[in-house]
Amino acid sequence: MSDPAPSTSPDNHTRDSDDAARGGPSRRSMLAATAGLTVSMSGCIREVRSIVNRDEVAPLSLTISTVPADGDRESIQLARAVGSALESVGADIAIDMLSQEEFQRAILVNHDFDLYVGPHPGDTTPDFLYELLHSRFAEEAGWQNPFGLTNLAIDDRLDEQRVATGVAADADGNGNGNGNGDEGENGDENETSDREDAITATLETVAREQPFVPICRPTEIRLARSDRFQGWGEGHPATRFGYLGLEPQSDGASAELRAVHTDARPSQNLNPLSAEYRERGLSTELLYDSLAVAQWRGAGDRESETDTATDVSPWLASDWEWSDDDTLLVTLREDCEFHDGTRLTAEDVAFTYEFLADTTRGSRRFAAPAPHYRGRVAAVDDVTDLSETELEFTVAASQPVAERALEVPILPKHIWDERTDQASLRGVTVSEGTTEALVTDNVPAIGSGPYQFDERTDRDHLTLARFDAHFTRRDGVDLPEPTSEHLRIQIDPRSTSAIELVESDSADVTSSPLESYVVDDVFEDDEAISETTVLESPSWSFYHIGFNTRRAPLSNPRFRRVVARLLDKEQLVEEVFHGHAQPIATPVVEEWVPDSLAWNGSDPETPFFGTDGELDVAAARDAFEDAGLRYDDDGRLRVRH
Amino acid sequence: MLTQVLTRVALVVALALVFSLAVFIGRDRLASLRTEWRPRLRQSAPAFALLLVILGLNRIMRQDGYDISQAYGVHMTEVFYSLEGDFVLLFRSIATPEVTTFFSVSYVYVYAFVLVFPVVAYFALSNTVVLRQLLTAYSLNYVIGLTFYLLVIAYGPRNVMIEGMDATHLYYANPEYIHLTTEVNQNRNVFPSLHTSLSATVAIFAYMTRDQYRAWFPVAVGLATSVIISTMYLGIHWAIDVVAGLVLAAVCVVLATQLVGRWSLSALLKRVQAAGQSTAASGPNREQGDDGA
Repeated sequence: MSDPAPSTSPDNHTRDSDDAARGGPSRRSMLAATAGLTVSMSGCIREVRSIVNRDEVAPLSLTISTVPADGDRESIQLARAVGSALESVGADIAIDMLSQEEFQRAILVNHDFDLYVGPHPGDTTPDFLYELLHSRFAEEAGWQNPFGLTNLAIDDRLDEQRVATGVAADADGNGNGNGNGDEGENGDENETSDREDAITATLETVAREQPFVPICRPTEIRLARSDRFQGWGEGHPATRFGYLGLEPQSDGASAELRAVHTDARPSQNLNPLSAEYRERGLSTELLYDSLAVAQWRGAGDRESETDTATDVSPWLASDWEWSDDDTLLVTLREDCEFHDGTRLTAEDVAFTYEFLADTTRGSRRFAAPAPHYRGRVAAVDDVTDLSETELEFTVAASQPVAERALEVPILPKHIWDERTDQASLRGVTVSEGTTEALVTDNVPAIGSGPYQFDERTDRDHLTLARFDAHFTRRDGVDLPEPTSEHLRIQIDPRSTSAIELVESDSADVTSSPLESYVVDDVFEDDEAISETTVLESPSWSFYHIGFNTRRAPLSNPRFRRVVARLLDKEQLVEEVFHGHAQPIATPVVEEWVPDSLAWNGSDPETPFFGTDGELDVAAARDAFEDAGLRYDDDGRLRVRH
Repeated sequence: MLTQVLTRVALVVALALVFSLAVFIGRDRLASLRTEWRPRLRQSAPAFALLLVILGLNRIMRQDGYDISQAYGVHMTEVFYSLEGDFVLLFRSIATPEVTTFFSVSYVYVYAFVLVFPVVAYFALSNTVVLRQLLTAYSLNYVIGLTFYLLVIAYGPRNVMIEGMDATHLYYANPEYIHLTTEVNQNRNVFPSLHTSLSATVAIFAYMTRDQYRAWFPVAVGLATSVIISTMYLGIHWAIDVVAGLVLAAVCVVLATQLVGRWSLSALLKRVQAAGQSTAASGPNREQGDDGA
């Protein structure tokens, strides 16, 4: 066969065809000729078929999803940097700008993306990696494995770190009464050893596989007015503690605490389970109580010892104790009620855990778990209410991991019980497992938290009113309480104008972290305006590139590793974050970073291909070829989808 | 903060109006306005009503339309960017704080004035046709513009070229205007530029009425141009949005001149009354404005 290309010319046809055709143009050969096939009745057809039926190896074309600068200036700049690095090594890149809700829906609910760039809310303990990466969550919505990663080695590591306890817990006979985090410091120190090893192993495996590329951890800077309230920074301003326990300095301040938020979503939706509207859930933390709370350190004592950062202490639960390694007995505070006056009982608590695990409550064949708190709830096998105020938790995780399951918001049964039905919309097919609970905007929100819903205007403000019956306001309860009658969260789309509101005494605090491009100005202004104070708080959220590992070649860990090596994280921190961030190789907070993954001027696992932001394109291209991808004659990356 | 900004805009526009009434319109026309405003208002009332309805719709669509476009809109930001590249960054070469102030003022104050003044000026003309055409053209601009906003999701250059945009960024230089612009528009509604189309509409009308308002024509063109350039200078619109805005303006003016006068509501009213009065004789007053069908 000399002419592999399909031929339409009759001359070619005659020359190439064999005797059978020459004897006279049969109908079949005519057909074959018009179809542009060489007429060859025997082996040739097979060869043609073999040539034609090979699929094209297509040029690699990827879309990077991100939010526009009005939502987050850093994300789009990072996305552009990633895009241009990938283009320089021969990939075809498009950038898709989506609004915040669209972005979260595309990534977290529909898993419809190639790569995305954005922040992850992060956590103070590494256990969040369990829900983020375990393959059992690959089909679920929310921050449950949005990458679709299915990797047995990582699963094993995640499972191990979850149950790893220290020798100390048993040696001390410390099974009982080690509950209240504050005590047993010695116990904790020994206890972490095994767990620490397991976590280190997990982090190293994750870094090797690069299901996502951690880029950096931005510094959290906020601006507050010091003349209206005292006590800023004693609680972390990304949590409820930033807004409880403040001491008003005037009548105006005790009437209203005015926060300004750059993200409009709290004014649109108050569903603590929403995948699209909740990341850190400051507003829902104020509206809903949890059994226990992690006492985040605020700005005030950031220099202090770090090992207390992840302890959980009682909140709605007055106390708990371990009766054995798998059983946790929780006692609720007496006489608590929801904002609508209904009593809060152990039944509501048991309901909440059941509901978060399956929002259909077993009414359908498939479970529809809540897109939040999955990793935490998954540590709990069973919850039984023993009396009005007592519950028994059966858990399948180490004690520190299981205690973090106590941090989920407690939902009133009488309201959420009716939200188990499949959400419906006339004339529209709604995807399976979309229960009312997951899509309701939940306005007004009825919780039991220190503040209750008052009013809101879409994209303008959310106003909460103090819940006077809250247990923190009782005598004898030594916990930070709501001090202002109202808490108004003003929505303001940009950091610059949010700062202006604080400086002109129209707001007390910027509740969203400020964008890094204004941080230098804030420090400057702060010097000039004595009534303001800059809150610098520890951060656990991090920017990253997420890969949809369901799609080729993103499913290839070698490919992902090379992509990670296209980024000069240090340079990006300088350029995009104006230096107000730390480059990272692993997504956990500093106290959990193993030496092997500590930043040492360069990424220890996936070092940058090049120097000073200048990408060594030739080396990167070689690496892609080593990873199994091919270049065509024009230097474009090709891939078999 | 929004009310502060709004009050300031209203004040500035009111002052500019008083000044330009004296300069462009003249005492005679204002005097005639005093005696004739009633019939003129009656004649142009339907056009005013239409515009009000459409502005009301605009308000509703700003909230509900968002969800619709989220579901059905086509994302075009990347397409625009790949088509025109860094074109709008050209304006960066003339950027100084003064120029930024100038264009910020154009974008907010001049734009508001440019829209309001012609309404008053044409109201001062004895023939209300031009006024009705202008109001209809405004309405058309909004209707067609809004339709595009539902279907085309695109973010402006300031969301794409952050590095090049800082110096000229409206929100960076004057954050208080954010309140105004978010009140007026969503950040993903950029195609076509309504700032451009409405300003250009005013400029075209200024050309059509240059015999009546000789001095206004060059001024209108100058002001409209500065508004149009400000949309690109401030990184709010792509050049493509501006071109589309100019096309939209031309389309709306043509449509408005075609439509206005075609149907007469008052004639229709008379006909209905006449039909009610004389059941015996059919179709008197036939000659009165039956020019469209």
